[in-house]
Amino acid sequence: MNIAVLTPEREIFHGTISSVKVPGVKGEFQVLNNHAPIVSALAEGKVEIVTAAGGYTFFNLEASAKQSGDETGKKMIFQIEGGFIEVLNNEISLLVQGVSQL
Amino acid sequence: MANLKEVRDRIVSVKNTQQITKAMKMVSAAKLRRAQDAITQMRPYANKLDSMLRNILSNLEGDAGTVFGQERPVERACIVVVTSNRGLCGAFNTNVIKAALAAMEGKFAEVHARGNLTMLFVGKKGNEYFKKRYADSVNIISDYVNLFDDLSFENTRKVATYLMDNFKNGRFDAVEVAYGEFRNAAVQNTVHVPFLPVPKVEAEEGATNNHRADYIFEPSKEGLLSHLVPSILQTQFHKFNLDTQASEHGARMTAMDAATENANDLLRDLKISYNKARQESITNEILEIVGGAAALESA
Repeated sequence: MNIAVLTPEREIFHGTISSVKVPGVKGEFQVLNNHAPIVSALAEGKVEIVTAAGGYTFFNLEASAKQSGDETGKKMIFQIEGGFIEVLNNEISLLVQGVSQL
Repeated sequence: MANLKEVRDRIVSVKNTQQITKAMKMVSAAKLRRAQDAITQMRPYANKLDSMLRNILSNLEGDAGTVFGQERPVERACIVVVTSNRGLCGAFNTNVIKAALAAMEGKFAEVHARGNLTMLFVGKKGNEYFKKRYADSVNIISDYVNLFDDLSFENTRKVATYLMDNFKNGRFDAVEVAYGEFRNAAVQNTVHVPFLPVPKVEAEEGATNNHRADYIFEPSKEGLLSHLVPSILQTQFHKFNLDTQASEHGARMTAMDAATENANDLLRDLKISYNKARQESITNEILEIVGGAAALESA
């Protein structure tokens, strides 16, 4: 499934993943393949993305540059202050604010 | 006819000015590109938020009332004036100020007369103008004047949150924003738009499949709305600032281009008078020599 992680300033992650764990306002939950359509608000917490075959690009906050990779099963974790997630037909949009990389 | 040295000095000074305006134009062009990038980068986020909102609204039965959509009789109002920090950008700042004045003397005239009008400034130019003229009739907030020094979402969010909090607790019944809407490098519209209360958004008629899907809403549709609306407002407010920044550079580019052109015209005229003056002095010299020779011959 595909994910796009967007902040008001830029897209920070785009690619194929096998799962994503997000801090929903009613508790943390994980989205796997073929998850039911959902829209949820997110609270402060950690987002954990596990990449899958297919490649991905991400914005490295420290280097302040776009980078790409194709590792499978790589865990990418970042801290957010809040946001929203929408899942539909294996397309995930993750809108986040106040991101810091871990 | 002007004297030769004077004309030469003017040519040098016009050339110097032209170099400055040319450089400023190029700097603005570079900055404009960056400002435009920022707007483009924000668009996917803003669009997605918007589609989420419509999605919820189309699934929601009945009226979606949020605290930010509450319409009250306007006793106290706030105008946010977003101008640039620097001048030399044509009529850009004047136009924004005019838009703010129009709101102040039109829509909010009564509020102003009662002394209940607040103005919040982003950017130095508007702040200077209103502080000088309306300091005693308008409540002026200058805390966020330097927002353009670091125009990150984190910073603009603070201002948006400040406005929303004050709307919620009843200090403002209406908030309007005067800013420079960015169309393209040559066209900027100055507008004043309502920010709060939120204008009603209608759920789309004949929603696409996307919206028909059987979504799970967490925490609930209403709960989601109360999260979404502030985010959308913050994003909107961020866009006002980004737009103004891009407009400023666009306006400066146009103004500096016109100034460079104008310097070219001036230089052409000056060169003609310089050549005329030079020709005249040569003619005079020849006349003197010929006259002198004729005097010798006849002696």
